[in-house]
Amino acid sequence: MRALTLALVVAVSLLAAAPQALAQAADASAGKSVYEKKCALCHGENGDGKGPAADLLDPRPRDFTTGIYKIRTTAGKAPTDQDLFTVITRGMPGTFMPAWKVLAEKDRRSLVAYLKAFAPERFKETPKKQELPKEVASSGDSIKRGKEMFEAIECNKCHGTEGRADGPSRPELKDDWGHPIRPANLTKRWTFRGGATRADIAMRLANGVLGTPMPSFIDSVEKPEDIWHLANYIASLGPESPDYATLLSARAVGAPIPDDPSAELWTRIAPQNVPLVGQVIVDPRNFNPAIDMVTLRAAWNEQEIAFHLAWDDPTQSVEDKAKKTFADAVSLQFPPQLSAGPERPYFLMGDSSDAVYLLRWENGKGVVEAAANGPTKVAPLAGGEVTAKAVYANGRYRLVIKRALVSKDTARLTFRPGVFTPVAFQAWDGGAGETGTRMSLTSWYYLRLEEPQSNRRFVVPPVVAILTLVAMLLVGRVAHRRV
Amino acid sequence: MRRALGGFLALALVAGAAVFVHRPAPAGAQGGGTIEATVTYTGAPQVETLKVNKDTEQCGTEAKIEKVVVGANKGLANAVVSVAGLKGAPTAKKAEIDQHGCKFVPHVVAMTPGEIDIKNSDGILHNIHTYSTANPSINKAQPKFKKVIAEKLEKPEIIKLTCDVHSWMLGWVAVMPHPFFGVTDGSGVTKIENVPAGKQTVEVWHETLGKQTKEVEVKPGQVAKVSIEMKK
Repeated sequence: MRALTLALVVAVSLLAAAPQALAQAADASAGKSVYEKKCALCHGENGDGKGPAADLLDPRPRDFTTGIYKIRTTAGKAPTDQDLFTVITRGMPGTFMPAWKVLAEKDRRSLVAYLKAFAPERFKETPKKQELPKEVASSGDSIKRGKEMFEAIECNKCHGTEGRADGPSRPELKDDWGHPIRPANLTKRWTFRGGATRADIAMRLANGVLGTPMPSFIDSVEKPEDIWHLANYIASLGPESPDYATLLSARAVGAPIPDDPSAELWTRIAPQNVPLVGQVIVDPRNFNPAIDMVTLRAAWNEQEIAFHLAWDDPTQSVEDKAKKTFADAVSLQFPPQLSAGPERPYFLMGDSSDAVYLLRWENGKGVVEAAANGPTKVAPLAGGEVTAKAVYANGRYRLVIKRALVSKDTARLTFRPGVFTPVAFQAWDGGAGETGTRMSLTSWYYLRLEEPQSNRRFVVPPVVAILTLVAMLLVGRVAHRRV
Repeated sequence: MRRALGGFLALALVAGAAVFVHRPAPAGAQGGGTIEATVTYTGAPQVETLKVNKDTEQCGTEAKIEKVVVGANKGLANAVVSVAGLKGAPTAKKAEIDQHGCKFVPHVVAMTPGEIDIKNSDGILHNIHTYSTANPSINKAQPKFKKVIAEKLEKPEIIKLTCDVHSWMLGWVAVMPHPFFGVTDGSGVTKIENVPAGKQTVEVWHETLGKQTKEVEVKPGQVAKVSIEMKK
């Protein structure tokens, strides 16, 4: 009798498990059709990261057959289903993996089941959640301790002293597949693959980024809460989002403009972040640009206009044929004359019918004015007066280019206050082999020189308000007296 | 009646099971011999030098990547010699490897499944990054204040050990299923003790030159010398 009950219990539990197994199988086969339509071009038919587009992409698309996933919230090697779902939904910032929110949730979940089937060995055990120490809110003291830990653990070896990914070990870093890999630029949190919040950063510190040189630190910090102090310090190195500028402005200043990039005036002007993309129109093309952003601060007075540019570059490079490097360079592009309508020259440094006017700076050579009819037809303009001063420290260039406000000839633009002036940027990281058409660039933006404001706007409205209030009270008193 | 039957059945089961229980051969049994293996290589040593541009105080200005180290009498160093097919209890002594002068010392460590102490006597950041298939791979940071990290390596396998901060650093941990192994020294010699007597197959593994085997007859209480030449 007992044996019969035992047999019955076993049979029922097996039957209960079967539908779940069947459901898993259904998910994976639904996931297969989504995968082949949306994912196989990069990740390959066999999930090995060798799709037709893979050779153009850096970082390369994930090889699912090894079961190694970068972003996990688990203590072991395998991510949870939710981890995989989150990456598919959010994408991976700073890479070519887009956010797939457009796909229905059901489709994304069945993709997760299909991906796991590429490396079934890895997912046999239930993943164990990574326990983080109790969260420590950000504060001056926490950030200070985080900085101490950052230096004691020597994060600067890969990430650089200021976190700009210019550390000495950077050039040798390779991922588990032997491909070169770059450390994260800690001042650009929005490029972190796993997310920019403090909790995301703490999780990455705790369990590392699998498949890359980034190790786990949960066992390597002095006290468990140091994970949070470090996360707070790293979060203090840059904003959560770049807040890219749309309309660029130049501030009117009354005093002479300093030419030193570290001068105090520049700290009082709000930074304007401008994103750059790789030049992919003219061969040789640049699908993986090194410089992805410049920060502009501009100031002008009645005599001159000055542009303060800051951008991150891991090495200060000059032309070296043996090492295949070139001089780092950056240029500001304007139309030679302001036109009455919206027409502007071709944004890629002009073309044969319309030239552009460039303020071009090169490391080691200084700044020149030039006229360009395309990226390969750049001719310096003689007789101009433009000066520049550049400072390079800890993975960042800061440059001030100054020029007279008014120009004397038609090839050079005259800057006028209050007018929308087209402007574009180009940048070359010589250390990454960028030169000529291999550059990062922007399309046309507008720059506006702000008219100087008088202080009357702070005085007149309050005075008028007080006078009106007095008048109101008088009227009220007179009205009451009648009664 | 029923109780007696039940009791007899239980006894029978235990006895039956006992027949199949495998009792490991006691290590260090009387009647074991010693194997003295000499591994040689007639080719040229392969040692690459690299300029060091960081932590020169601890690492020096030049790093050596020792792919093939040949010593006196053409002896091949850093080869793991083991006796195939034996079973034995794990060694009591804990394995350890040190990061000293930005090198893994010793370059090759052989151990039975268990714990290994990874030391950092350099006082600068290293990270333990292992590449393995049977054992879970490890990537842990070892900053200067973490002098020892203990790791469990339970499955027999040859594991590659690197540091990402200092990309030239390379070490090997050979997890062996039994305690009958040795790593050759600078002159290519290693001794394996208490090997059960009889015809044994000696296996040699080297990181660059690969694997080779040779048969040797072990007599109790005697030293059996075997010489293996690694092919190019």
